Formats: sequence, structure tokens, C-alpha cells
Amino acid sequence: MQVRRFAVGLAVVSLLASACGGGSSDSSGFKSSGDEKVSAKGETLTVWIMEGTNPDADPFFKEVSTAFEDETGAKLDVQYVPWAEAHDKFVNSIAGDTTPDVAEVGTTWTPEFADSGALLDLTGQVQEAGLQDDLVPGLVEAGTVDGELYGMPWYAGVRSVIYRTDVFEKAGVESPTTWDELVTVGEKLKAAEPDMITFPVPGDSEYGVYPFIWGNGGDIATLEGDSWTSTIDSPESQEGISFYTDLALEHGFSTPAATTWDEADLSDAFSRGEVAMMISGSWTPGALVEANPDLKGKIGAFPIPGKDGGVSPSFLGGSHLSVFQTAENPDLAWAFVRMMSTGKFAQEWGQQSGFFPGTKSLLEDVEQQDDPVVAPFAQQMVDGGKSVPVTPLYGQVQGKKTVSAMLQSILSGDSSVEEATKQAAKEMDEIFSRGE
Amino acid sequence: MAAEPTLKDPPAAGSTVSQPAGANGRGSSRRTSKLSGKTWRPWLLLGPALIVLGGLLIYPLYRVVALSLQEFGLRQLVTGETQWIGLDNYREVVADPLLWRVALPNTVIFAAVNVALTVIVGTLIALLLAKVGPWTRGLLTSVIMVAWAVPAVTGTYVWVFLFDPRAGVVMRVLDTVGLVDPDTTNWFTERLPFYAIATLNVVHHGFPFVAITILAALMTLPQDTMEAAVMDGAGSWRRFWYVTVPLLKPVFAVVTILSTIWDFKVFTQIYLMPGGDGTNRDVLNLGTWSYITAISQNRYGLGAAIAVLLTLLLLVITAVYLRALFRQDEI
Repeated sequence: MQVRRFAVGLAVVSLLASACGGGSSDSSGFKSSGDEKVSAKGETLTVWIMEGTNPDADPFFKEVSTAFEDETGAKLDVQYVPWAEAHDKFVNSIAGDTTPDVAEVGTTWTPEFADSGALLDLTGQVQEAGLQDDLVPGLVEAGTVDGELYGMPWYAGVRSVIYRTDVFEKAGVESPTTWDELVTVGEKLKAAEPDMITFPVPGDSEYGVYPFIWGNGGDIATLEGDSWTSTIDSPESQEGISFYTDLALEHGFSTPAATTWDEADLSDAFSRGEVAMMISGSWTPGALVEANPDLKGKIGAFPIPGKDGGVSPSFLGGSHLSVFQTAENPDLAWAFVRMMSTGKFAQEWGQQSGFFPGTKSLLEDVEQQDDPVVAPFAQQMVDGGKSVPVTPLYGQVQGKKTVSAMLQSILSGDSSVEEATKQAAKEMDEIFSRGE
Repeated sequence: MAAEPTLKDPPAAGSTVSQPAGANGRGSSRRTSKLSGKTWRPWLLLGPALIVLGGLLIYPLYRVVALSLQEFGLRQLVTGETQWIGLDNYREVVADPLLWRVALPNTVIFAAVNVALTVIVGTLIALLLAKVGPWTRGLLTSVIMVAWAVPAVTGTYVWVFLFDPRAGVVMRVLDTVGLVDPDTTNWFTERLPFYAIATLNVVHHGFPFVAITILAALMTLPQDTMEAAVMDGAGSWRRFWYVTVPLLKPVFAVVTILSTIWDFKVFTQIYLMPGGDGTNRDVLNLGTWSYITAISQNRYGLGAAIAVLLTLLLLVITAVYLRALFRQDEI
């Protein structure tokens, strides 16, 4: 009798508990299942989109607005935010509770905002919509915190080498496939065009050095248990960094001016016609030609060569679409996220912006087209796309510009590779240890 | 900032009026109501100004001090929880070798050099302007006002472009003359050249204010004193040093203190230079260090602690200045 009553009691309690569980998932936002149609006539959804990704985003979003209103009855209010001020704007709006319903969030920021509690967990919606197996893994990895997905993969880009086909032809060289070849090709380009910068090594661009760390078997930091430790000063990493910086210091492929360049300065120099080859993003060729129409037809690309062949991994960056916890109608927000990240609109956005879609099925379509400035990037993305350490703490490392500072001090001759990497590892470890 | 001292006077005046009346002690009940009216009236009149000052100056100052005693990151920002940690942030700042080797020397030496140069250049220009005819003076004044009117952001980009290691005019000229080799030089990577360029920028942006203020003061100088000095056979150097300078002391004090405040917390001109945003650790100053810590790394508490130290440093230096300039009851 006692035992039975206890069992009944236990059942009631666990029923209540599960009901509470259901309740708390309700309070996490979504009411309808992830693949249902939403009807929200008269409502308006506020969306922040980063400015400049798609050179001509207005017509695209006009079309999206019409389709969205047809499907849900709700209006779309799209606001453009420049990348440079986006992070500050997000932080301020999170603090002031003025976040939009949905926003494009850079993949490296997603863990940070999710960790602060500003984003809604999308795992359930993605599963209900049957999308989980079609998403590009690198982007899912970047948007996942404690096993929950906070950023829906939208688009991605990757850096490879962009080069001047006319200069390569003049020097009589082909795309290098190993690091040794990269140096040989560089020497020939330098001999053929001594006034050009053969291969600038920009001091204020961390994404240029990662492929050489990863390509040499090194890593930025590793996760053991739940604490991160920097490995940027491991012998493998140091050797890779030495190879990269020696392209400037030993082989003279760069210029002292590049020591303080960021990627924008690099692109400027390329579009002025001063650069023979450089590490640059899959989204840049269009903008380079736009800045200098003379370069049309003279731009080629090849994946960053692996040390002894193959491909060196390169940072897979891009954007998620995230739903903020301030969203008044999360289901409507999800309907928008789904519309943007799958099917027709995801494909069109990719074509217009020079980025790759965040679903595998759409990515395969792109790979099959044989565009000379698209295919090498697609190959880089599939064969060697990698993420920086997925932790909000790495956002702090990036905020402190630890890796750029390391590069700059090596390039300016202030410190040796060994000193600079030790210092960088120390800084990272300090940040990692503080966060746990 | 400069307007604050004048605000102190009205309430003080109000209380001196009310005291003797209260000491009289006659018809006390009616008078006290009248009296209290007299006490609160100045405050009523001051109210709007105090509310604006409180909202714009005192509250932010209080927030910064409060923040500097907390562990405050993005999480605290979102959840609204408060985590007091006492003086830990200050301990971390003081223990950081970056403060003693880089940020503090960069801030103090840069400010000292820039204040001196700004005041010297400004004074010389003012003396020149006082000498020339009204038309030339009008023209020159308009020209130097342009340097003042250019926003710091624009001005900084112009100076950076002039010294660009590849395309900059300065590099090209020095290269043609054979003084500098652009294949081995990037001025922005080293501390001294970096700050030399920043000095040109800041002095260029700051001297017009000094020049115009001192010119205005020069125009009001009593001519008879000057004539008396001439009669006594004082040369122009002695006239400047023994007549003009003492008479202009209060004006020099104002421009020096304001320049000190501006040059200590110089931020835009450093942050926007190549490497100034944190990639080149050697060129951080207290302002950029505080910003990078707070905003780029979301360590608002630590950033606030640096800002408070900067403010305290400024207060101390300003106080010492004032004392040195005006001993006893000169002020």
C-alpha cells in the first residue's frame, strides 16, 4: 500500500516535472512546431542584416518581403548594420533590451551572445523541420554552445589565394600545390615583376596565418575536459608561423607597409594593381573587379596549398541567423529564418554575394558549376574549412587582437617567432583561465 | 568642465544673505517661511543646470567608479546581476607591466610634449597675429580656424595618409632625396615615429584654440603699461617676458589646463592610426587601453578601472598646476 502510494506520488511528481519542462520550453519561445506555417497578419518582424555582404541587397530583400508577407501576412522591417560597428551595436542593444527579432550574427559572435542568454535555442525547430543533416558541419559547430544550436547556418565564406592570371602568365608559373612550390613561384613572380608586392603578409589579419598553423599540424588552442589551452607556441605552430612570416622577412615577398595592413588595406593594394597574389576571401573577387574594372578576367584563385600537397585548412567564416529572446513572435521569426536559409532565397543570396550557402544540398550545386574564381574556394571549403576555438572566450582573444599583435611584432622585427608565440599563448591562457 | 567653478557662487551668496536675517530672531515664524524661500530659491534656479550636469556628468562618473569595483562582462550586462569584487580590478591594472612600461609613459610623455608644443606654437602664432594688419589677421585667423574645425577623425586620416609607407607624400619626398628607403621603413610600427606623427596631428589640431585665445587676451592688454616699458628701455624680449607673460598668466593657465586635459585623454588620434587599435602593444595609451579592454574584450569593470585611474591622474596634475601657477590668493 505504502509502496503503491509512493509510486503514484512519484508518477504525479514526474508528470508535473515534465509538464514544467514543457512549460519552460514554451518560455524559451516557440509554440508551433518547426515546419508549420505561421499566420501573423498585421505583425512586423524586425531584422538586422550586415551591410555590404551583398553589394546590392535592396532588390533581394524586396523580393523576400513580398514572399514573406504572402506566406505569413507579416511585414518585414530590414535594417542594415555595417560590420565594423555591428559587435558594439549588438552588445549595446542586448544591454538595453532593444535587440531585433532576428539578426544576421557573425559565426564567431554566436557563442558569445548565446552564452550571455540573448539568443533562443533553435535545436528543436531545426529537428522538427528535418534540416539537421543538411546543414554544413563547420557552421553548426560554430553555432553550438553546450549541445544547443543558437545560430542557423545561413552562408559561409572561406579564404584561399587570389592571384593575377596575367602576372602568373608573364612569369610562366602555375598555381603552387606545396609550400616549397609557393616559395619557388614567389621567387619567379618577384623576378618577373620586381615592382609588385609578390605575396603581402598583412600584420593585422589573423586569418592569413591560421592556414599555415593548421597546415603544419599545429593548432590555436585545444580543449581538454572543459578548459582550453593555447597551442599556438607548440613546435608545429611555431614552424608554420615561421614559414608564413619568412615569406616577408626572408624571401622579401611582402613590404614593410603590410606590417600594419588589415584585409581592407590588402584588397585596396590588390585593386590598385600592386599585388601578384594574396590570401583573400571567396566574397572578394567581385568587389576587387568593381574597384578596378581593368582587373576583369585577370583574377584567378587556388586553394591554400598544403605543406606537402593537398589543401591547408582555412577559417570557415560566415553568418548565422539567430532569433533573439526579445522576439515577440518567435514562431514568425523562425519562419523567416527557415525561408532565408533554405531553398531559393539561400541560393540567390549566395550567388549575389559570392558566399556559399549553409546547407550541403545547395553547396553541392555550387561545386558542380566550374567557375574559375568559385570552384577553388568551394574545394577549399569542402576539403579544408576549419573553425577557430568555439568559445566566447576566443571572442575576447580576438578582441584583444592577440594573434595580430603576435604577427605584427614578428614582422616588425620586435620579437622572434618564439618570443611572440610564447607571449600570445600566455595571453590566450590568461583569458581562458579567467573564463572558466 | 571649465564652467563648474562659477556655479559654486550663487548658493553661497544665498546663504550669506539668509544668515544675518535669521540671527535677528524677530517675527520668527513668518520670517522662517520667507527665509526658507530664500534658501531654496537659488537651488530652484540652479535646478535645471544641476539636473543636466548631474545627468551628463555626475551620474556617468558615478557609474564608471561603480563599474570599476565590479566584475562586469557581457553576462552581467544581459542578466543585470551585480558582482562586487572590491579593488581587484585596480590590483590587476597596477600589477600589469603594460601600465608601467607602455600605457603610462606613452600617456604622460605624449601629453607633456604636446601641451608644451601646442602652447608654444599657439603663443608664437598669436604674437604674430597681433603684429600684422587687420586684413592679414582676418585671413590668417580663418586659415588656422580650418585646422581647428577639421574633425579629429578626418585630420587623423589625412596625417596617416601623408605618412603612408608606400603612397604617402612624405615617404615619396624623403625617398627622392635619398633619406629613407621605403623598402625597409614603416613608421607606424615603432613607438617614437608613431607618436611623432600623432604629435604633429594633435598639435596641428590643438594650436588654433591656444592662438585665438591668447590673441584675444593680447588685444585687451593695457597699452600704457607697454608704453611705460618701452620708455624704460625694455627690449621686445624683456617686454614679452616681464610684462606680457605676467599679465596673461590666467589665460596661459586656462589654455594649459585645457590642453593638458585634451592631450591626456587623446583617443581618436591614436586609435585610428595603423596599429593603434591594439595590434601594436607598444603604442597603447591609457585611453586606447581602457577602450580596448572594455569594449573589444567586454571587460567593462577593468576598462572602467583604467578610466578612473586616468581621471585621478588628471585631477592630481590639474591641482598641482593650479597651485604652482597661483600661489596663495592670486586666484
